[in-house]
Amino acid sequence: MTDYQVDLTNCDREPIHIPGKVQAHGFLVAVDNQFVISYVSENIHAFLPAQAADLLGQKVTTLENLLLQGEETGFISQLLLLGRHTKSFETINPYKVVINGADYNLILSQTGPYFLLEFEPDSTATEVDIHKTIGRSVSEMLAGKQLKQLLDNAAQQVKQLIGYDRIMIYKFLDDGHGEVIAEVKEDHLDPFFGLHYPATDIPKQARDLYKKNLTRIITDVNAESSPILGLAAHGEVKPLDLTCSALRAVSPIHIQYLKNMGVASSFSISLMYRDELWGLIACHNYSPRFINYKAREASKLIGQIISSALEYKQDEANSQKNDQFKAAYNVLSDTLRKGGDIAEAITQHETNILSITDATGAVLVYEDKITTLGQTPDKDDLEALINWLKKNMEDRIYYTHQLPEVYQPAKGFSGMASGILACTLSKEMGELIAWFKPEQLSTVNWAGNPNKPVEVDEHGVVTLSPRRSFDVWQETVRNSSERWTREEIANVLKLRDEVVFAINRQANEIRVLNEKLKQAYEELDTFSFTISHDLRTPLSTIKNYSELLLEANQSLDDDARRILGKVIAGADKLNFLIKEVLNYSRVGRIDLDYTEIDMKALVQEIKNDLVVALNINNLQFEIGETPALYGDQTMVTQVFANLLNNAIKYSAKSNPPKVRVDGKETSSEVIYSISDNGIGIDLNYYNRIFDLFKRMDNVRGYEGTGVGLAIVKRIIEKHNARIWVESELGAGTVFYVAFKRNV
Amino acid sequence: MAVPDIFYVEDNEDFVDVVERAIGQIDDTTVLRTIDDGALALNTLEKLAEDKAKPKLILIDLNLPGLSGLDLLRRIKETQALRYVPIVMFSTSDNPKDIRSSLEFGANAYVTKPLGYANLVKCLSAMHDFWLKTSSSVA
Repeated sequence: MTDYQVDLTNCDREPIHIPGKVQAHGFLVAVDNQFVISYVSENIHAFLPAQAADLLGQKVTTLENLLLQGEETGFISQLLLLGRHTKSFETINPYKVVINGADYNLILSQTGPYFLLEFEPDSTATEVDIHKTIGRSVSEMLAGKQLKQLLDNAAQQVKQLIGYDRIMIYKFLDDGHGEVIAEVKEDHLDPFFGLHYPATDIPKQARDLYKKNLTRIITDVNAESSPILGLAAHGEVKPLDLTCSALRAVSPIHIQYLKNMGVASSFSISLMYRDELWGLIACHNYSPRFINYKAREASKLIGQIISSALEYKQDEANSQKNDQFKAAYNVLSDTLRKGGDIAEAITQHETNILSITDATGAVLVYEDKITTLGQTPDKDDLEALINWLKKNMEDRIYYTHQLPEVYQPAKGFSGMASGILACTLSKEMGELIAWFKPEQLSTVNWAGNPNKPVEVDEHGVVTLSPRRSFDVWQETVRNSSERWTREEIANVLKLRDEVVFAINRQANEIRVLNEKLKQAYEELDTFSFTISHDLRTPLSTIKNYSELLLEANQSLDDDARRILGKVIAGADKLNFLIKEVLNYSRVGRIDLDYTEIDMKALVQEIKNDLVVALNINNLQFEIGETPALYGDQTMVTQVFANLLNNAIKYSAKSNPPKVRVDGKETSSEVIYSISDNGIGIDLNYYNRIFDLFKRMDNVRGYEGTGVGLAIVKRIIEKHNARIWVESELGAGTVFYVAFKRNV
Repeated sequence: MAVPDIFYVEDNEDFVDVVERAIGQIDDTTVLRTIDDGALALNTLEKLAEDKAKPKLILIDLNLPGLSGLDLLRRIKETQALRYVPIVMFSTSDNPKDIRSSLEFGANAYVTKPLGYANLVKCLSAMHDFWLKTSSSVA
């Protein structure tokens, strides 16, 4: 045993269903399909005039002959055939036989290819006639309105029916450890009521056996159990599965455990709730005690009745609160279905996400916003926790009532949130809802220190041993909240579905809006061309006739000619403005045609055009490096034309006006600067220089529409490029444009 | 009625007036016929074709009552007797969409109306030179 990793979880690996021994108060014979005796417990000689080894390999008739005093041979074979035919021995058990003048019960069962024949005494320690009293006992038990009363009554009735010094009802909690929740005992005994037992006290495979075999008797912990001999097949005796056996010997560790507790004999009845082992009725006796098959079956019946009562009593206890949660869920679901803002719907009303659980705090992370309700950790703690959840939540739901155990930083706010129940809304967006329950300081009374299961003997050998002391050992449980109930979790999952549904619906609504917007854009496009046509027609009339008047009427005096000149200039300006607005609206609509642009040629051409158009005599125009740009040729031309036009225009009054264009490449961008020594821009208005029709105060004396930079900005945005400006009033301006490199 | 050199479909009286003056100034022997309705224009053109009096050039504005400029263009190009008469779309719009669809429907050219009388004279003079004096015709 010392080569084990020493821990009481070792018990988990002990194959307790094949101990190879039976308890000595009875004997066991197993026959195969052909009714050939394949296993016999060695102690058979204490009951019958035969040796186990001699019986192996014999037909079952040999056993029948040993048992029979007067009866016909073949009765065991017939019982087996009948059981095999009806696939159950329930109606046959127990079959009474007489051995040496004493009544014995033969109990038949099947395990794999073998039939177990177990013989045990019919004499029993029970004093009352169970068959007569069980009916009354059951009605007494069920009279309890509350679960607690029911269990107290049950313990009381079991004690009356089958005796035993102490009857405990032992309930398994979520983590597998158990608590004594009802107890009836002889007065002189110390109470175990309220004590907790670690999960390792009843290891997993023992719990599995309790689920399959609903009663378990240990008659005398001090009696030597008897080995089972078996027929060897291929030189090997396979162990016999005793899961369904009544006589199955007890694990030495468990024997030691009972001995340490001072218990000489025990009996237990399984309590099931929805197919899971809910708890045990554990009966201890401080001297050896045996109750016969019938008494055990009656106890089993009581266990089954309590089990079914558990179903509705347990449900009843939960139901009132659950009804409230459900009602709250329905309100939220209705609100969500009405549409509108989702965060608002589930957090800003009297019924909110807090109402569907027993939580005292909740947080919603949605659309980059954190909304808290009730008691929640501080902002920083909360953000860190949310990040931890985002990173670690694999499923759509996560919950624990001991957050600080899994997430260390939670120790700092355990008072607020020792329990957390979280569900994701969108994993990609990191959107979620979480509920918090506060720490519940509680004192747990353990039956002995559960953390010291290991002993070291005088030779320094570490041995696995159940603890010797069962003295109450108190532990204060920190960092724990009340548990999340199944209903709370179910409500959260339902709400999550509802919210996700609402989010999807909203996404669809946005898609429809987007379509409409697109349509509106197209209409606007049509509109701007139509309006331009409609505006230009009368405009052209004004200009045409003004020009005609000038040309055809030589008699006009100078003043009339000057006035007509003004009319014509006004018409020209209006025409230009219309054109610019059209350009601006067109940028948003036209798809970009990306090419590698020869910037030297582009800048040179714009410069030539502008020098002619603006007619600035002493302009010093410098072109530095001109790395190629990747973009839409027409639009990039518009950007540089506008920026250079501004640079030349606003520096026209400097002496001499200086304009410089220079480009450089970085690892990701090509950045051009267009600098001048003009009037500069008041950077207090930096944000507004790109607005449509916005002109600065200091440019009143200059021609312009206030559209140029707005077009530039739109084109830049369309290219996912950047633009920024450095300027000083009266000293000059530098515009920078940075386009992404072609990769 | 004299055979028209230029058949001009335009509903804006002012512009018709200005164009008449400009053509008169460019070449006072050029016969200009104007119609202010798309459907009426089609009828008139069909009659002219029957009378073997087809114009040398058709100018069409885009926005017209009766039949839109583009529809008129399409119908003329579908009419066997008229299909080789050169058509120039003559509109204020410089919308690439309008230009493209005009050319797709078979317009021989698209000219955006210039602003101002002086520019108009230049523009019409160039068209007159090309379509009436330079280009060869089978119509």
